[in-house]
Amino acid sequence: MAQTSLALGVEAVGCAAFDAGIKGAFGYPGTPSTEGFEYVEAMIHAEPTGRVAQWAANEKVAYDLALGMSYAGQRSLVTMKHVGLNVAMDAYANSALTGVRGGLVLLVADDPGMHSSQNEQDSRRLAKFAWLPVLEPSTVQECYDFTWRAFDLSESLQVPVMIRVVTRLAHCRGLMARRDVLTPTGLGVAPQDTIQDWVLIPSNARRRYLDLLAKLPLMAQQVAPLNRLIPGTSRRGVALAGMGRAYFEQLSLEYPELLSLPRLEIAAYPMEPSLEKDLLAQVDEIFVFEEAYPVLEERLTFLRGNVAIHGKLDGALPRTGELTPRLLKKALGLKTAEAKAASDLQLPLRAPRLCEGCGHTDAFEALREALKNVGAADARVFGDIGCYTLAAQEPMNAIHAVVEMGASISMAAGAALAGQSPSVAVIGDSTFGHSGMPALLTAAASGANVTVLILDNRVVGMTGQQPSMALDQVERMVLGLGIPEAQLQVLTPLPRQHEANVQALEAALRHPGPSVLVFRRECIQSLRRGVLRDHDRELKACTALAACQESHS
Amino acid sequence: MTSARIHGIVLCGVGGQGVLSLAQIVLEALRRSGFHALQSEIHGMSQRGGSVHAMVCFAEVPLSSPIIDEGCADLLIALEPLEALRYVAMLKMNGHLVVSEEPQSDMEGYPPLEQVYGALKAVRGCHLVDTEDLARRLSHKQAGGMALLGMASRFLPVADGIWREVITQRFEAKGQRVIEKNIEAFEAGQGLVQATVGV
Repeated sequence: MAQTSLALGVEAVGCAAFDAGIKGAFGYPGTPSTEGFEYVEAMIHAEPTGRVAQWAANEKVAYDLALGMSYAGQRSLVTMKHVGLNVAMDAYANSALTGVRGGLVLLVADDPGMHSSQNEQDSRRLAKFAWLPVLEPSTVQECYDFTWRAFDLSESLQVPVMIRVVTRLAHCRGLMARRDVLTPTGLGVAPQDTIQDWVLIPSNARRRYLDLLAKLPLMAQQVAPLNRLIPGTSRRGVALAGMGRAYFEQLSLEYPELLSLPRLEIAAYPMEPSLEKDLLAQVDEIFVFEEAYPVLEERLTFLRGNVAIHGKLDGALPRTGELTPRLLKKALGLKTAEAKAASDLQLPLRAPRLCEGCGHTDAFEALREALKNVGAADARVFGDIGCYTLAAQEPMNAIHAVVEMGASISMAAGAALAGQSPSVAVIGDSTFGHSGMPALLTAAASGANVTVLILDNRVVGMTGQQPSMALDQVERMVLGLGIPEAQLQVLTPLPRQHEANVQALEAALRHPGPSVLVFRRECIQSLRRGVLRDHDRELKACTALAACQESHS
Repeated sequence: MTSARIHGIVLCGVGGQGVLSLAQIVLEALRRSGFHALQSEIHGMSQRGGSVHAMVCFAEVPLSSPIIDEGCADLLIALEPLEALRYVAMLKMNGHLVVSEEPQSDMEGYPPLEQVYGALKAVRGCHLVDTEDLARRLSHKQAGGMALLGMASRFLPVADGIWREVITQRFEAKGQRVIEKNIEAFEAGQGLVQATVGV
């Protein structure tokens, strides 16, 4: 009998990747994708059979690691959130041309409604942009089954395959029935006669692009079994994808009259237009329920003839935000349930904030005072992505721009070059390792008058204290990127260090060139959980040993 | 004949209170009781002391939507009274609320407690639980969540033995003493005076 257990949607993807015999999993943490990697990581660590799970410094690096593993003939999984795919886009789009050897599956978790993201971009669009297949499950079990299928498709089509989930599915906990576990079996490195396929100089790339386009009909044909048209007697039809499919299916239990509607269920792309045409031929109007962008809706609108298409484009559904069962009910004109009356008491929002005793708070307090002391109390500060982003809110109001990973340093440098003074960037250690390094390299080379605060809490705090690639190396990284030793200071963000920290900040703010202050204190959550306990014990032993050896030499 | 009726539970509180952990216990208990069950939760920013909620749906038939619509929940389990008020409209007219009286008021603009309690008491089917007193009596600081669950358990079709099994499994890694303390808190919640407050 199949082994069943409860799992989150993204965990089911991780589990299926393990069962499908991946040699390695790679990723960069980002809500709501993180648990997918962590699940497979735990499986790999529990069974040390030579498989690897490795967080990478950023999503592009993670993707390249997976592609390299594929080149060497092994199956690999790479995980990230939707905006992470922007970072990995160069690798992803070009891997469409190289193709893959061992199956390569990319898990991307989109965040419609922006529960913890800066936008709600739709990864189905990026798959189309790269001319690559994408599968969109709508239940935990489908997360598992589709991932298996994605590996098979990846190897038979010799292209990477994306699994797209959204927050609600990523963090939906449900039953997962597993298949038997495959042991990783390498196909061997890409054969000699295919080497040129992997060398994307223009002459090869032109040929490979034609090869890719020629594969599109085969892709559509091979993913087609995941899409279907269920006939009905009504002249109203629905087109469903992702959670739209899940919500409609459940509504049909409560409102059996919905079963008379012809239903187009789409779970895989690229798709041939024949199913859409068949649906259009049967109905007078179609309601489209899909998550994030109106991808299906635009296709249907393009093909519609006299059929009315209802969805995000005609206002039947909100253009932005998460799809919900309630929105489906309203669009379809179903009666909603009578609810208890909400209290008329004004309920203040309870916003997330920095933990009690967090070192970031001390760093921001020192920064505020130092800015005041140098006569720049109203200075604009460029922030970055992490827990410290929370300082943008009341009552701290300490950062005034947050765009994307690593932007703080380069935006501060750009503003400094425009004449802004002081120009301050605040970035975490993991974000610095992710994409702050090239920014600091550039800032140092430009000589821009920026003051960079690296808030080094030694982990990736926000997403659950995963290891930071920059652990114990931030100073060396900063110096190596061209910041002079005199302009680098390492400080401890603690209330009792406040005066010293303010003084150091003032000196840096007054210095007419790039300077870096590292505020180092471990995240109190990771400290509580003992995340780095073993690491630090080992480090201490090594340091003691080295000192001992030196004194005896 | 199997019923297609879908039951919904909303759990809410403040990041760090253990809302998601409680939801997982409920989910597992329902699954072991033979139901098809799904849970939805939101992680990330909301974990840093912000409002947190989770939903659990269950039925005798397979489910695909982890989200409960307004007016469709049968039960609300709230670890914090102000947070409870945010979700009242999730409940059916005859739904029940099991709410901790203990406020997490370290925030801007928290209304006077009497107003919060007053608003809750005005809701039919509301059961306020003095978790602070209970925790003191049991000498167990974290007893609140388990006690609420114990109280809420009488609205859920799960046998006592299954609750005990799931709680035991949940705290297995922390040793026998922690298991016993949590079962004790659960049973204390079950034993609370079963008077329904409200009109």
